[in-house]
Amino acid sequence: MNNKGSDKILSIYWFAILVLVAGGIFMMTISFYNHPYDVREIEAEIIINNIADCLSQNGELNSELFNATGFSEDFRTNFLAKCHLNFEAGEGEEGQYYSEISFYNAGDLNSLAYEITGGNKNLAASCSIQNEKEYKREAICVEKTFFSLNGENLYLIKILSAIGKAEKNVR
Amino acid sequence: MVFGKRGSLLMENLVFIILNLIFLTLLVLFLLRQGEGAVVLEQAYAKEIALLVDSAKPGTTMLLNIEKGKKLAEKNNVDVEDIIKIDSNSVIVKLSEKGGYSYSFFNDVDVSAYPDTTDPQNIKDYVIKINNYQNE
Repeated sequence: MNNKGSDKILSIYWFAILVLVAGGIFMMTISFYNHPYDVREIEAEIIINNIADCLSQNGELNSELFNATGFSEDFRTNFLAKCHLNFEAGEGEEGQYYSEISFYNAGDLNSLAYEITGGNKNLAASCSIQNEKEYKREAICVEKTFFSLNGENLYLIKILSAIGKAEKNVR
Repeated sequence: MVFGKRGSLLMENLVFIILNLIFLTLLVLFLLRQGEGAVVLEQAYAKEIALLVDSAKPGTTMLLNIEKGKKLAEKNNVDVEDIIKIDSNSVIVKLSEKGGYSYSFFNDVDVSAYPDTTDPQNIKDYVIKINNYQNE
C-alpha cells in the first residue's frame, strides 16, 4: 500500500475512535445528569446534629428531659415539637423521616435507660440492609453517639436517623 | 488551484486538524450545556436551600447567588420573584414555565425567600431568611 492510502485508512480509524470516545462521553454524561443528587446522608447528619443540640448543651443534658422521678414522659411524647422538627408528610403520603434516640447509663452500656422515637418507624427496617447495592432505593440511615452529663450521672446517647425520599434522590 | 506534493500534504493535515478541533469543540459545548439545564439547576438550588434551612437557626439571613438560574429563568420567561418559593415546609424552585422542583425540609421554622434588591437593575442574589420556630 502506498503512503497516501495508508494515511487515509489511518484517518478513518482516527475518526472511528473519536466517534467511539464521543459516544462513551455522551452516554456517561447523560447517565450522570439523569441521576438526582443524593443528599439524604447529609440530611440525616443534620437531623442528628439538631437533635444533639436539642438534647444537650455544653455537655449537660436538657433539663426538660427529666422530671422529679426520672426521665420525662412529656418530653418523649412531644419530642418533635420540643426539638423543632417537622416530620409530617403531605396528605396521603408516607413519612420520610425517622429518628430513634437511646440513652444508656455510662456504667452499664447494655441496659437501655430511656428511648425516644419520632417519625415513620417503617424506615428503620432499611437500616440493616442499606449497604447492599440492590437496596439503595431504601432509606439511608446514619447513627452517631455522644456522652452527656446530668449532674453526676454520665449517659451515652445514641441517635439513629433514617431518611426515605428515594424518589427525589435515587433513580 | 494547483498544489504541489508538499502543498497537498499540508492541506490534508490542515483539514484533519480543523475537523478534530470542530469535533472537540462540539464535545466541550455539549458537556458545558448539560450542567446548565433547567432541570439540573432547579434540583441543585432546591436541595441546597433545603439543606441550608435545615441547618439554620432562627435569626439567620443567607444570601444565595442565583446568577446562573436567573439567566435561565429570564430566557424561559419566569420572573425573578418567582424563582424560589417556600410553601409550608417545602422549597420550590422554578426556572422554566412548565418546570419546577420541590424539596422538603424538616426544620420547623418560618422561612422567607425574596430577591436581594440592593441593586434592582442587577439582581444577583436571593435572600433566605429564617424568621422563627413555627411552634414556640
